[in-house]
Amino acid sequence: MSEAKNEFYNVYEVFSKKTDKSPFQHQFSLLAPNADMALIMAKENFFRREQVADIWVVKRENIRGLSQSEREMLKRLDKDYRETKGYGYLKKKWREYNQEQFTEQHILGGKGDAQ
Amino acid sequence: MAAMLDYDRLTEDEKLEHFMERINRGEKIEADDWMPDDYRISLIRLISMHGISEIMGALPEKEWVPKAPSLHRKLAIMAKVQDEMGHGQLLLRVAEDLMAPLGKNREDIMQDLFSGKLKFHNVFHMSAPTWGDAGMIAWLVDGAAIISQSMMLDSSYGPYARALKRICAEEVFHAQHGESIILAMAEGTPEQRDMLQDSLNRWWTSLIMFFGPKSAKETGNSNADKNIMYKIRAKTNEELRQEFFTKYIPRIWSLGLTIPDETIRFDEQTQMWIYKDVDWNEFKQIVTGNGPESHNRLDLRRRSYDNNAWVRDALAAKRAI
Repeated sequence: MSEAKNEFYNVYEVFSKKTDKSPFQHQFSLLAPNADMALIMAKENFFRREQVADIWVVKRENIRGLSQSEREMLKRLDKDYRETKGYGYLKKKWREYNQEQFTEQHILGGKGDAQ
Repeated sequence: MAAMLDYDRLTEDEKLEHFMERINRGEKIEADDWMPDDYRISLIRLISMHGISEIMGALPEKEWVPKAPSLHRKLAIMAKVQDEMGHGQLLLRVAEDLMAPLGKNREDIMQDLFSGKLKFHNVFHMSAPTWGDAGMIAWLVDGAAIISQSMMLDSSYGPYARALKRICAEEVFHAQHGESIILAMAEGTPEQRDMLQDSLNRWWTSLIMFFGPKSAKETGNSNADKNIMYKIRAKTNEELRQEFFTKYIPRIWSLGLTIPDETIRFDEQTQMWIYKDVDWNEFKQIVTGNGPESHNRLDLRRRSYDNNAWVRDALAAKRAI
């Protein structure tokens, strides 16, 4: 046993969806010697009570995540120009022309109620 | 890319400063983030002890699965034992990710438990001779555990906080399971009430000890202050013990039970409970493996690990093909 101790277990990350309609969500990780055992352990560890519609187990070594420096970089990104909050000043502008700014619903809706 | 290079170029001192700033801003530290060794060691000590206590904590209750007084009680206590093992699995996983850079894994945790290097909570070294004890463990021992766990729900270490969130959700069931047992006994025959009182007498000292000493001077070592500095925990041992008193003493009294400490009272002036302190030397004896059941439970754990070795061997062999 002692020689095999470092190779026996793999770390698996567990993902699940609660209902057919919900997206997969990360739950936690567990140790298992193979994917089948990982699924059994996932059911035992995380879904004794919780409702679950589907489960994925993924070997952690197959996941390419971000390093800390890559995560730090994300915090520095300014993405206002990609979001509506970067265009908040438009409301005031349109008022100067006696117009109401279109809401998201007006832009997407096409219900003809945007005069 | 510039920012990435910036972080990698930080000196150790700058990384430490950045780390403390993140903690003080309330950010969560993840397993693969840079962290000072001191923080890593504190977390490993706390979480491996917590995890293995869940595993060892299932043993006194497991003794009651075959002896529970009805099918309903048997199913409920079996579910609780299963939960405790599940909590152990979660917490050991958190500890293992922290230990990985030190070249240690689950096998080391188990061996450290067997050699006595890794300690577990004082309460799980004690015997549970009656059904009253099963009730007392679920009501008051779990009650005490809920108080100390929920104060760490906002812990600076993200994986621990997430594990505790899952654990606390199930603790609600455990608390109610315990209340259900002790209320049935409290409303039962005089023999059942006596049995309940005996259990309380047996567990009171252990419950006081559960939260640990007030300060380092009682046992010569306390990691609580450091853990508060790193925002791993939010409150001192004594604050937690006082919360426990405030939450449970009125309930214990309301059932007509007597607390085996005639000096205990709430002091209006200091807004603190005054109580008879315990012998912290005895506490030290218990947690170092000299409690009434320490040897038996460790032996059971060791035998079960050895008896199941063939399952691990069989699975390992299949993988090698």
